[in-house]
Amino acid sequence: MTTTTMPAPAGAVDALRRMRIGPYLFVAALAVVVFVAIGPDQFVNALTVGAIYALVALGYTMVYGIIELINFAHGDVFMVGAFTAMFVLTSMLGQDPNASATSLPQALFLILTTFAIVMPVMGLLGVAIERFAYRPLRNAPRLAPLITAIGISFILQNIVQIIYGPSPVNTPQVIPPTATIQIGEFSIRIVVLFVIAVSVSLMIALQLFVSRTRLGRAMRSTAQDREAAQLMGVDINRTIALTFFIGSGLAGAAGIVQGFYYGNIVFILGFQAGLKAFTAAVLGGIGNITGAALGGFVIGFIETTAAAYGYNQWGQALVFAVLIITLVFRPTGLLGQQLGERA
Amino acid sequence: MRFARVGAALAAAAIVVTACGGTSSGGDKTLKLGVTLPLSGGAAADGQPTLKGAKLAVDEINEKGGIGGYKLELLPLDHAVNGKYNEQQAAQDMQTFVADPAVIGIVGPYNSAVGKVQIPIGNDAGLLQCSPANTNQGLTKPEFGGMDLRKNFPERIAYVRVAATDDIQGPAMSVYAYNTLGLKNVLVIHDVTTFGQGVAETFRDKFQELGGTVADFVGATPDTTDFNAIITAAKTKNPDGVYYGGVVTSGAGLLLKQMRQQGLDVPFLGPDGIVNGNGDAEGSLIKIAGKEAAANSYGTIAAIGDFPAKAAFDASFIEHFKGDSEFNTPGAYSGPAYACATVILKSLEEFLKANASADQAAIREGVRAWATDPSHSFETVLGTTAFDENGDTTQPFISFYVTDPAAPNNGDWVFKEQLNFGEQ
Repeated sequence: MTTTTMPAPAGAVDALRRMRIGPYLFVAALAVVVFVAIGPDQFVNALTVGAIYALVALGYTMVYGIIELINFAHGDVFMVGAFTAMFVLTSMLGQDPNASATSLPQALFLILTTFAIVMPVMGLLGVAIERFAYRPLRNAPRLAPLITAIGISFILQNIVQIIYGPSPVNTPQVIPPTATIQIGEFSIRIVVLFVIAVSVSLMIALQLFVSRTRLGRAMRSTAQDREAAQLMGVDINRTIALTFFIGSGLAGAAGIVQGFYYGNIVFILGFQAGLKAFTAAVLGGIGNITGAALGGFVIGFIETTAAAYGYNQWGQALVFAVLIITLVFRPTGLLGQQLGERA
Repeated sequence: MRFARVGAALAAAAIVVTACGGTSSGGDKTLKLGVTLPLSGGAAADGQPTLKGAKLAVDEINEKGGIGGYKLELLPLDHAVNGKYNEQQAAQDMQTFVADPAVIGIVGPYNSAVGKVQIPIGNDAGLLQCSPANTNQGLTKPEFGGMDLRKNFPERIAYVRVAATDDIQGPAMSVYAYNTLGLKNVLVIHDVTTFGQGVAETFRDKFQELGGTVADFVGATPDTTDFNAIITAAKTKNPDGVYYGGVVTSGAGLLLKQMRQQGLDVPFLGPDGIVNGNGDAEGSLIKIAGKEAAANSYGTIAAIGDFPAKAAFDASFIEHFKGDSEFNTPGAYSGPAYACATVILKSLEEFLKANASADQAAIREGVRAWATDPSHSFETVLGTTAFDENGDTTQPFISFYVTDPAAPNNGDWVFKEQLNFGEQ
């Protein structure tokens, strides 16, 4: 079973080709061009929004990879995560939404507690959505679960709107938003470093989990061929539930960093972020974890570059133009649907 | 075919029922004053205090025994959907007012985009509407396309307003920013809407005419939540102020908060759309940005802020609504809404003096004709007001407000000064 997804090695050239270095080079080159075009400050903005899109995109791509469902409720899980984080933080810090931590140990404690509570809770929300809304429809026509997903999305939005109202709500910024650290002659906001660091670590952790662990292997095999995996003794229902748990947990983490970064959340947050993240997943090659992460950063680059040159209004159009061009030349997205990495 | 016949029968029945309703309500001598505002969700901070301005006027008239034997009833309809004003809902509400023969006039709307869809309906029906807050110049002035909204009856004015127009509000802030605040290089951001872009363009043109420079002129659609890239780009041009053409629901609060987070601590300027209540009010600029971040913000109100009778008006407003749990203090447009109600009720009174036995259709037309006659003037809480041949006020006052983080309710807007641009 270990070798089902890995063809036998056949020389260094083949190995390089199999690593598919091209798309990575493309993204790296794009990053360099963007960095030169917009300068370090804007580049940091681009990385930050890109990191959040990428975190949300992971959940889209994992779910699509394993059950070929576009989980439109995923963006709203991200939004619920942001509100849950606000709830946890205001419970600990008091109701003043403009409060931030007073000392470093307190900040670390608050951050860890928030992640420790919000990520599993969102994971369970994802599992519940899968169990009650998608699993009964797993063998139904493709359209049924898609509509169900849209329905779940509206339900989550309405619940949050009823509880917290339709206006943007302030959320505690544990890391003081104006605090900066100096790197050479370049100063960077600590909260921005935090957002990027958390996102990238979670992406690496996910990649390691999927490629190195038994459960990850079960996910990959289910994605590749559900029936064969079942015959080999993989518990399909548990594996799909696990996929939802991880994807939604990551969306919860994205919700936390969204609140830390902006200090402000609103119940329709999930719609836009979900759309962008979904685009990121398609751009990177839906079903492909690394692709989703790269796609998120590419969208961040495009949007920020447009805004940096004063074409803010064209940002969205530009994102979709790039998506269309990419799909024309590479119908399966930047990295394609590599079965080996698909989860 | 059968269904069509059933439908026709039902429609006929409905007409009979409405007709009966009409006569019976005429029998107990009640006329209605419609109010069309966004009243729920994030827009409640705008709509509710405005509604109560009109309610105060109606309650006072009824306490005095009504007008010409008629009691008056307030008919408020809310066109906020999901906390934002909604043009379609507003158009439907307008049809509801038109269809109710007892409605003799309407106070509202609040948003110019709503005015744009409601004015043609009111013009067709000949139903008087008085807006306390609409400021877009294109709603009335022929040189900005006002005739398009009354093309079926170009000679008939059914829409008047006590607020000044944006072609004054934008330039007024330019004058204030350049002369009083001493700003020379301003970043202008707008929300790409009828109102926001319009007021931002007039601000930009006047500011440049005065000798200032515009660091950048950027549009960001109302669903924008991330302004960081725009702010970073602008910081390289060292603006000494930021003007936002738009309202709070389209992003003024988020922009201001992100500006302060990036350390851009220059004055934040905007039109009436950003002056929406104190730091405790749901959806207010000060609440969304946080009271510290909201400090050093300046807004215009295209209406008289310190009107002669303001102290007395505020006192009676607070006294009248002291039992309410929220929105029990006057907002920026409570006085103007009260004035609008006064205009409509005064016109009703004058018309009934000469035509005591007129039926409801005649009253509706009589009220409209009396109010829109440029030779008539009104003693309102805002001072003596008249309307020109387009329905615009002859007293275009612009008031300037500044945020005060130390004010009660987690910070509030306080009146600074006002200028009458009718004289300029």
